[in-house]
Amino acid sequence: MTLRTQLYEEHVKLGAKIVPFAGWDMPVQYTSVKDEVLAIRNSAGVFDVSHMGEFFLEGTDAEAFADYLVTNDILSAPTGKAVYSPLCRENGTVIDDLIVYKLSPGRVLICVNASNIEKDFAWIKSKHVGFSCNLSDRSQDYSLVALQGPASFKILSTVVQDLPDLEYYSVHECGFGSKQVIVARTGYTGEDGFEIFGDHETIKSLWQKFMTLKVVPCGLAARDVLRLEVCYPLYGHELSDEVNPYDAGLGWTVKLAKPKFIGKDALAKKPVKFKLVKLLLEKGIPREGYPVLNAAREVIGAVTSGTMSVVLNKGIAFARINLDKAPADEVFLVDIRQKPYEAQLVKKPFVTGGHK
Amino acid sequence: MATNIPGNLKYTKEHEWALVDGSTVAIGITDFAQSALGDIVFLEVPEVGAEVKTGTTFGVVESIKSVSDLYSPVSGEVVAKNNDLESSPEKINEDAYGSWLIKVKVKNSSDLENLMSPEQYQEFCNSSH
Repeated sequence: MTLRTQLYEEHVKLGAKIVPFAGWDMPVQYTSVKDEVLAIRNSAGVFDVSHMGEFFLEGTDAEAFADYLVTNDILSAPTGKAVYSPLCRENGTVIDDLIVYKLSPGRVLICVNASNIEKDFAWIKSKHVGFSCNLSDRSQDYSLVALQGPASFKILSTVVQDLPDLEYYSVHECGFGSKQVIVARTGYTGEDGFEIFGDHETIKSLWQKFMTLKVVPCGLAARDVLRLEVCYPLYGHELSDEVNPYDAGLGWTVKLAKPKFIGKDALAKKPVKFKLVKLLLEKGIPREGYPVLNAAREVIGAVTSGTMSVVLNKGIAFARINLDKAPADEVFLVDIRQKPYEAQLVKKPFVTGGHK
Repeated sequence: MATNIPGNLKYTKEHEWALVDGSTVAIGITDFAQSALGDIVFLEVPEVGAEVKTGTTFGVVESIKSVSDLYSPVSGEVVAKNNDLESSPEKINEDAYGSWLIKVKVKNSSDLENLMSPEQYQEFCNSSH
């Protein structure tokens, strides 16, 4: 059985092409991927991401438990901040990547990937020992939309009550009609924007409000292009149970100075096996699974995500390279249908988003 | 799904069209195909002089999110290639039937008899999608 978000009928009405994704029937595109990507880079667009999971930690030790679960530093962040982090096992491999929102003292929201809700919750529950806080999976109770693009603040401030000019990666509860919504200045596009959590009916009204304001509805295909253009990893591609944060270029999220967290001992040894690289192709479109070659045409890794960049109109990819085969001359080729295409190693994101 | 199917063409099950002009056939993808693919961003077809074979792949068309093989409706030698489309593959989205990909000199005219008529293709689109 596939699941449907509470906005499913809205997507059908808008003529979306629906595809199965992580057990859900989700809109992959409404009109054109290109137009949807450009709407978000240039003005504003909105995604239904209600399939994602919401866990709550409530009680005195909510922050301390979150801090123990993840590699990044939750305790040092002030209340009202959001923190991105991998969730790792004792051996350092990545169970999921998630965002921890510090809503108020003793109240923490964790937003996780749709495909990992059950795995994550079982893991977190198994570690919920000796911490004085309640843990609940509220994924079924919450809908989530992401309003993204440079016009987002202007639009949202006319829709919700008393929206402060939040810092990037901050969260605040605002009124919408007679209801409360959780508004976070976060997203997965590199642009300014907000993710808004609330009960199903409230988020449905919010979505409808965005539609009357002519905000462009955007599908998962545009979302994937947007995140790859700004080089955000995606679980199941750059991240998986087989790699650790260092293998995926997320060393910056591992705070070894923290006294204690799951995976610390293993990660302290920096057990790196792979290097995640960004490749730009003048010709050809790299796709997931395509082999990556060195100058001698030996396979040294594979593409983990690839697409045509809408902004650059060039092929872009993340590729996982075996560390012991990383070429010193930095010459990379991508094997596309048995033909090698030259790829340029890029150090910065392909596209610079305009987020705060 | 309502779709645009010109009466003067022949069609394959893989959603290519063929325009027969004497012993030469121009080949493209149908409106149904371009619509299903979405924004087309890359096209790879064989050079003039190459041989293509009925029912086998002769190239690929890529949208932002997908790669699709192109299947030749006929066997024969490629006698022309639409170079404009390599730099502007989005023209296929704008005008699928005005955007021929390659022209092939047909080896065996019986190939043409195995292709679908516009009516058969319409029915095929209705029943399979």
